[in-house]
Amino acid sequence: MGSMYRASKTLKSSRQAAFSLLFNSVKPNRRDPLCVVGLHQAYGFSSDSKQNSREPPAIDLTQFPSEKIRNFSIIAHIDHGKSTLADRLMELTGTIKKGHGQPQYLDKLQVERERGITVKAQTATMFYENKVKDQDPSGFLLNLIDTPGHVDFSYEVSRSLSACQGALLVVDAAQGVQAQTVANFYLAFEANLTIVPVINKIDQPTADPDRVKAQLKSMFDLDTDEVLLVSAKTGLGLEHVLPAVIERIPPPPGISDSPLRMLLFDSFFNEYKGVVCYVSVVDGMLRKGDKVSFAATNQSYEVLDVGIMHPELTSTGMLLTGQVGYIVTGMRTTKEARIGDTIFRTKTTVVPLPGFKPVRHMVFSGVYPADGSDFEALTHAIEKLTCNDASVSVAKETSAALGMGFRCGFLGLLHMDVFHQRLEQEYGTQVISTIPTVPYTFEYSDGSKLQVQNPAALPSNPKYRVTASWEPTVIATIILPSEYVGAVINLCSDRRGQQLEYTFIDAQRVFLKYQLPLREIVVDFYDELKSITSGYASFDYEDAEYQKSDLVKLDILLNGQAVDALATIVHNQKAYRVGKELVEKLKNFIERQMFEVMIQAAIGSKIIARDTISAMRKNVLAKCYGGDITRKKKLLEKQKEGKKRMKRVGSVDIPHEAFQQILKVS
Amino acid sequence: MLRTTSSPIFSSFRGRPKTPRLIFKAFSVLLEDSPPSARRNASTNLTTLHQGPPTSAYVHLPFCRKRCHYCDFPILALGSSSVSNAPYEERQEEDDPRITNYVNLLVREINATRTCFDTNPNLKTVFFGGGTPSLVPPKLVSLVLETLSSRFGLCPDAEISMEMDPGTFGGEKLKELMGLGVNRVSLGVQAFQDELLKACGRAHGVSEVYEAIEIVKACGVENWSMDLISSLPHQTLEMWEESLRLAIESQPSHVSVYDLQVEQGTKFGNVYTPGQSPLPSETQSAEFYKTASSMLRGAGYEHYEVSSYSKEGFKCKHNLIYWKNKPFYAFGLGSASYVGGLRFSRPRRLKEYTKYVADLENGAANWCGDGNVDLKDVATDIIMLSFRTSKGLELKEFGEAFGRKVVKSICKVYEPYVESGHIVCLDDMRKEVMSDEFKKLVGNDEKKIEDHVRYLRLRDPDGFLLSNELISLAFGVISP
Repeated sequence: MGSMYRASKTLKSSRQAAFSLLFNSVKPNRRDPLCVVGLHQAYGFSSDSKQNSREPPAIDLTQFPSEKIRNFSIIAHIDHGKSTLADRLMELTGTIKKGHGQPQYLDKLQVERERGITVKAQTATMFYENKVKDQDPSGFLLNLIDTPGHVDFSYEVSRSLSACQGALLVVDAAQGVQAQTVANFYLAFEANLTIVPVINKIDQPTADPDRVKAQLKSMFDLDTDEVLLVSAKTGLGLEHVLPAVIERIPPPPGISDSPLRMLLFDSFFNEYKGVVCYVSVVDGMLRKGDKVSFAATNQSYEVLDVGIMHPELTSTGMLLTGQVGYIVTGMRTTKEARIGDTIFRTKTTVVPLPGFKPVRHMVFSGVYPADGSDFEALTHAIEKLTCNDASVSVAKETSAALGMGFRCGFLGLLHMDVFHQRLEQEYGTQVISTIPTVPYTFEYSDGSKLQVQNPAALPSNPKYRVTASWEPTVIATIILPSEYVGAVINLCSDRRGQQLEYTFIDAQRVFLKYQLPLREIVVDFYDELKSITSGYASFDYEDAEYQKSDLVKLDILLNGQAVDALATIVHNQKAYRVGKELVEKLKNFIERQMFEVMIQAAIGSKIIARDTISAMRKNVLAKCYGGDITRKKKLLEKQKEGKKRMKRVGSVDIPHEAFQQILKVS
Repeated sequence: MLRTTSSPIFSSFRGRPKTPRLIFKAFSVLLEDSPPSARRNASTNLTTLHQGPPTSAYVHLPFCRKRCHYCDFPILALGSSSVSNAPYEERQEEDDPRITNYVNLLVREINATRTCFDTNPNLKTVFFGGGTPSLVPPKLVSLVLETLSSRFGLCPDAEISMEMDPGTFGGEKLKELMGLGVNRVSLGVQAFQDELLKACGRAHGVSEVYEAIEIVKACGVENWSMDLISSLPHQTLEMWEESLRLAIESQPSHVSVYDLQVEQGTKFGNVYTPGQSPLPSETQSAEFYKTASSMLRGAGYEHYEVSSYSKEGFKCKHNLIYWKNKPFYAFGLGSASYVGGLRFSRPRRLKEYTKYVADLENGAANWCGDGNVDLKDVATDIIMLSFRTSKGLELKEFGEAFGRKVVKSICKVYEPYVESGHIVCLDDMRKEVMSDEFKKLVGNDEKKIEDHVRYLRLRDPDGFLLSNELISLAFGVISP
């Protein structure tokens, strides 16, 4: 599966904090004394600290009016050093102790460890003493609001960013501007954030900060004099980062004496506390015990706990205008906590914050137990997983080929991948997932419209004629060395892409912008892009509108019987080619059977490609010499086990892998 | 090395097994609908066959001149020292201490084998396999037979088979063996082309084959079998047809046709890949099998088992014991016995086998099951073995032992293959039940199936050719 990460490494040091993960119900909330270090360092917000240095003092947030608050995030292309920089800033402010990040690293979810990504963002509050020449030092409250690393979660990213007023745009001094740098920049730019450009890894031998500065100027029109040069690894230049945050990024603009309005920008499920919501107080203030309502769901709750992430959940009893923290309301499922929702005091009337969008599922896939009898186990596993990830939609469905299962909707490909992987790894459920598909719309001559999330649900021979069809598209950003431009342009036009922009960032690098049908990038686009550019291209995309298209349903028939789980929707112009390829691939996947197997691809009743697998000729037992049957029996047992890895359609055995691998085009 | 299924080998030997008892572990599915009477009457049905005393013995005589290139059996190659151009009678095997020592060990094993049954019927079949048993001097064969006779008793009309290779015996030796009671000869011809014999490392040529056939006939052995191997490297369809024709012309009462299996660790295994030149393709190899079936049946042989053909009245009684899942003793290096429900393989190396015999004498080795079996194992054994035969699987008996529901499930799984003709369905008069009729019956209740369908068998040759596929389907019914 080509995974299109705009992934970031997790903030290692705050990893153990209970709020750090999307799917954190796996481990109970542990308290690690190392992580509350820093609270009792003198920040001037508590006079008790000297009297009782063992107990962390209560944090008095009233010391931090809006002008003493800065909310910012760090945005970067994968591996440009976002996590390391975040670690350093937290160490610098005493939020975490230096060198104590690593042990928590081991506690990462297997899926995150393997992929080096953050599935869910985390956020930390830091206290910082800003020393300016000839002035009294002044205490600031800085909220570092992390964003999920991946494009699948771009809406979540935009909500996290809308809780900020500024962003550190981190670029690798050797690699320069990459696709995610561009995508992130525009998200931040659209959110009206102040950008603080940071060139990282300047200690590398191949670092070329001047070239990167020039790219930042040409791509984003950023002032080269304002670029900070740092090495988060060696600490070089780090001392300038937080002063720049304080000087350049404006304080949150809210009105403190206006009714309470909070932005819900993240949530997670905690086994002991229930749902924990991350909020940013836009206007007014919140106290423990307040009654609050959620605009999108129209639900009301009592605030049972309120506090900040430091980096652990730390009760403060209140949150004031401009501050960022968490609330616990006894909410049972994260489905009630809609990202981007506006929270306000019950019985007051406020204008909801702009930009709320319900979750949009862009990729769908069927999930079936590999062993048909395991449906109960799969149901249980899916329930457990979705309890913590409200962004997956789940509906029961039945396939003639695969039996009972679920149709799951995902934000994007990585989201889907992670879900499948977690299902197998954490719940030990062997699943067959069908070819991912995107949501299409079909219109018929009688004026009716059909939304299709499963190609099998589209009638092969409809009663009324299809008059129009629409498919979702994306705007893709690709940055690559100029020598690969030809190959990439070919790839994009082969994938029905429309070129929107073609610019040289500098002498060697090209920036391409394409509108592409989502379907065309869903399976193997990124893999293909990497292979034709020797891995040098970076890629990112954002959702764009639906476009009118000429779509047809392609059925796959085995010995004349359509296999619902192999049906797919393709563009009419590509149908013949795809049909031919599918038939060819199936021929390789399906082993010889006792009968001849005819494989056909069809649009409606028209066969567009066919091939046959000739019947197995011989599969005979050897002699059982001297009555020794044990060896032969083992062979037969093995053969029987092999059949379990198959799904039977009619009399044809299809290996599990075929269902998900078949659409990977070479 | 030791392929046992349940009991530890060196657990102490307890003389007699306890009262036979069936373990119904992990078998609830199979038994849920079987009438209680079937379980109560268990002593008479398929599930208890293994509990009776064996009346057959396999005796392994592992000596060969040299190892054939396809062979992975436990054999002991004597080397060229004992091969000479002298007439058979004057060769040195008489005095080869390796043979003498081995046979002494074998005799010790037989003697140390304590019978553990209430009754001890005489042996009805004895099979000398190898190796090349015909290399063993008759006086040593005599010693083995005497030992068997005194230990278990030997029916006067017992079938006593011996595998013999061309070039290892003359008329006198054969006469002598016949005098000892050997009444069935299995002649390892394998091919009628010198180049093929040479390519597979056989220690004889075609001229020795003709000589051996002459000797067998001259000695008046009526019951003799010829072994042939198909799918040898470089073998063409013409060669195979020639071999079959010459085999038929020499009029053996039985023919065994083995499809070459390329085993790991053999010379062939190291240099050849099945289906790839110089081995015939899968299609050619299937063609060889079909040719054998049609030519031999055309010549009046009954194809009574996947690889066995016989003239009327000349089926190999010993091998039928295997296909019926009946118990049998086994003695000698690497041999596999099935007694008291336990399939037990002896060590394949001489050193370990020697220790095994000593343990057996001390009562420290156990080769005999205590009657406890996993019913699923029994059911799959019966399926696998029955389907090798032209008689097929007898469903009534099988249903009584394992439940009608299982029979129905097996029928259901085979429905498409009855339709395609790979499986033949027969009524109790062994008249074929056509696929439409079968389909209707399978849709019906279990009783209806029982009344109208008595046997399922693999069709010759199409079903036999795909026996692995078909049998493993039924395995899936027994233990999903």
